[in-house]
Parts: sequence; structure tokens; C-alpha cells
Amino acid sequence: MVILIIFGYVVVGGVELLLWKERPWQKVLVYLLLLSAAATFSVLLAIDVRLPVPEPLGTLRNWLQKLWQ
Amino acid sequence: MNESVPERQGIALVFLFIVGDSFVFGLARWAGRDLWLSFLVAIVLASPLILVYGRLGSLMHGQPFSEALPRLLGKWPSRLVALTYSAYAWRLGCFVTGDITNFVQAVSLPDTPQVVMAFGYAILVLWAVKEGIEVLARFSSVMIIVVLLILLTALGLAMTEVNLQEFLPIMYDGFWPVLQGAFQILDFPLLETVLFIGLANALTTKKRSAYKVLIPGFLLAAFFLMLFASASVAILGEEAYMTSYFPVFMSTARIDIALFLTRLEAVVGVTFAIGTFLKISVCLLVASKTLAHTLGFSDYRFLVTPLVLSIIPGSQWFAKSIMEMEQSATKIVGFTDVVVQVALPLVMWIVAEIRMSKERKNKAGKPSGI
Repeated sequence: MVILIIFGYVVVGGVELLLWKERPWQKVLVYLLLLSAAATFSVLLAIDVRLPVPEPLGTLRNWLQKLWQ
Repeated sequence: MNESVPERQGIALVFLFIVGDSFVFGLARWAGRDLWLSFLVAIVLASPLILVYGRLGSLMHGQPFSEALPRLLGKWPSRLVALTYSAYAWRLGCFVTGDITNFVQAVSLPDTPQVVMAFGYAILVLWAVKEGIEVLARFSSVMIIVVLLILLTALGLAMTEVNLQEFLPIMYDGFWPVLQGAFQILDFPLLETVLFIGLANALTTKKRSAYKVLIPGFLLAAFFLMLFASASVAILGEEAYMTSYFPVFMSTARIDIALFLTRLEAVVGVTFAIGTFLKISVCLLVASKTLAHTLGFSDYRFLVTPLVLSIIPGSQWFAKSIMEMEQSATKIVGFTDVVVQVALPLVMWIVAEIRMSKERKNKAGKPSGI
């Protein structure tokens, strides 16, 4: 499954990059980084369905809750 | 690139965005039979915030997001705000995708993996987002007719099942459940309209402010949702409304005209699918545009594919089952939502007004050239 997911992302990325009329390196770099992040995310979720969801605002919420109490 | 959406198309877009995936859920279920009161309270509470969103849109003067936001907030704060909205829009897109995949699996395709449905949606959304806001607005101006026709016909046919006694007694449990219901509707779906700040340049022109699109769209959608939710309570009764995952779907299933016209819940499913597609597209469009601004690019289209592909696993991540999905849709207040829908727009508005007034004073104070 993991190999299939990675293969899918590689195919999509490769085909789309080929279809671009211009390939400025900044855009290509950002695109590849984001696509790799999406592929990693998909693989992690394929390995463990119960992957915890991070709470970036959790610290702020806990602090406000303490203040409220 | 200058994008412009005509007023009627903009209203249709806002209407379908709000109604999109929300009308099938048990909105304001905390209020029970008093949910119509919750809707009225929510509309009153949401209106000032919608005005703030509209004001922020108008302050952008029809400029693209990447030009207007640094002018209003400064370079780095604007990038931080854009990143926050990008993450929020992507998260909302994941939730909405999860809603439709869970819904389809629950009501018609129990053995089909949700990933397959999410993949189908992702391909459609990928195409729509790359086409841009103008195509989405034209699509909604056509689809609003289909959606209204189907839902109002279903509502009309369901009138034979309505029992108005279900609304009595009014406020038997006090005002607290009404307030809880109102906060739930504010959180989802009314204040999700905040995402339209990211599309304000398309909704605002020199002659037209964003209010003219946001306010009618918001009010129409809110009253429409109130009508549907109230009709569902009157048909199903308070208990059934509060305990079922998709009460509107259940209430339309009750329609039976002379044993001939039955099983109309399927058409409700179709409207849900259309609305959901539009809502995911708007979420991903905003996510791409704001992320492009964060990273310093003027074009957003090259970011669409990775973002859209990541909503497929994202839809399975935030809500892992139909119960979690329903809980997230009908929770009273979410902390992240309060920050993004209320606190951040208010801070942005105050900062933008102060900066604009200083700019105006500077312009007025400058001596005219002789």
C-alpha cells in the first residue's frame, strides 16, 4: 500500500511538472516540497489510522482555561 | 490577475457555501424544539461579524489578496494571517470531504472505502479550483436553481407530515439550550463565511462593496437552514431530530404521495453532493491563494495539486468515524473556530482601520504641489 501511494504521488508530480510551460526553480522546489509532505502524510495515515491530530492552539486554550478557573 | 464575480453569482456562491454540507445535519439540536429561536439568535449574533468580514473585503478595494493584505496589516503580519487562514481553509476542506464520504457510506454505499469517494471528489475539486473563482461562481449561479427547486419541492411535499404541536411549549427548558444551539450554528456553518475574506477581491469592485454579496447570501442561507431544520423537527419530532445523524434526510424519506411519489431522500443526497463539491472547492481555493501569499507567489495554481491530494488522507484524519464527524459538526464552540472566525477578523479590522485612517490623514496633511 505504501509503495502504491508513493508511486501515485510520483506519477502525479512527474506528469504535472512535464505539463508546466515554465519551470522556475522556486515554484518547482515549493511544489516538490508540498507534494512530498502530502505523500508523507498519506503514508503515515496508511500505516496508522489513529494518527493523532496536533493542536497548535492547544497551549493557548489550556492557558485560557486556567485563567477562567 | 483581476477576477470579478457578478453580484447574483456571488450571492449564489455564498448561499451554497453556507448551505452546502450543513443542511443535512441536526443543526442546533441542543435547543430541541426551540431551534428556530436559536437560528434567530445566531443570525443576530453573526450579523455584526459578517459586516466586519464585508468591511475587510471593502478595505481591499478590489485588489488581489497578496497586494491588499500587506497594505492593510504590513508585510509579515499579513503573511502570518494568510498562513493561519490557509491552514483553516485546508482543515475545513478536509472536514467537508469527510462529511460527504461518511454520508455516502452511511446511506448508500456501505462497502465502498471512503478513500475512493474522496479521490473522486479530489479530482473534480482539483479541476474546479484551477479554473478559479469565476467558474465556481457561474457554476453556483446555475446550481442554486437546481438545489432550491429540489429542496423547496421536497419541503412542500413534506408539509402533509408536519405537526406544529411539536414546537410547543416554547422555551420550556429555559434560554440556555437556545443559546447553546445558537453558538453551534455560529460555529458551523454561519461564520465559516470568514473564508470569503480571502476571495474579497473578486466580490468587490469600485462600484460595489463586499456587503452586497455577503449579507444577502448569508441571510438567505440562514433563513433557508432555519426553515429546513424547523420542518424536520415538525415532521420527526424533537427526540428523533436530536438523536439522528441526518434528520433532514430522514424527514424527506417520510414523504409519501399516494404510494406513488416516495424515496425522495435520494434527491436530498444529490443536493448535498453538489453543495459539498462547491464548499470543498471554495476551501481549497482560499487555502491555495493564502498559501501562495504566505510563500510570496502571486500565482496560486501550482499549489493546488498537493493541497487537494492531501485532503484525501486529511478527510480520514480529522474525523475517523461517522460519530466523530457528527460530533465535530454539532459541537457547541470550537476553540480554533473562535480564534479564526471571531478574534482574528476583529483584530485585523481594528488594525486595518487604524492604518487606513493614518494613511488618509497623511494624504490630507500633504501640501498640494504649486
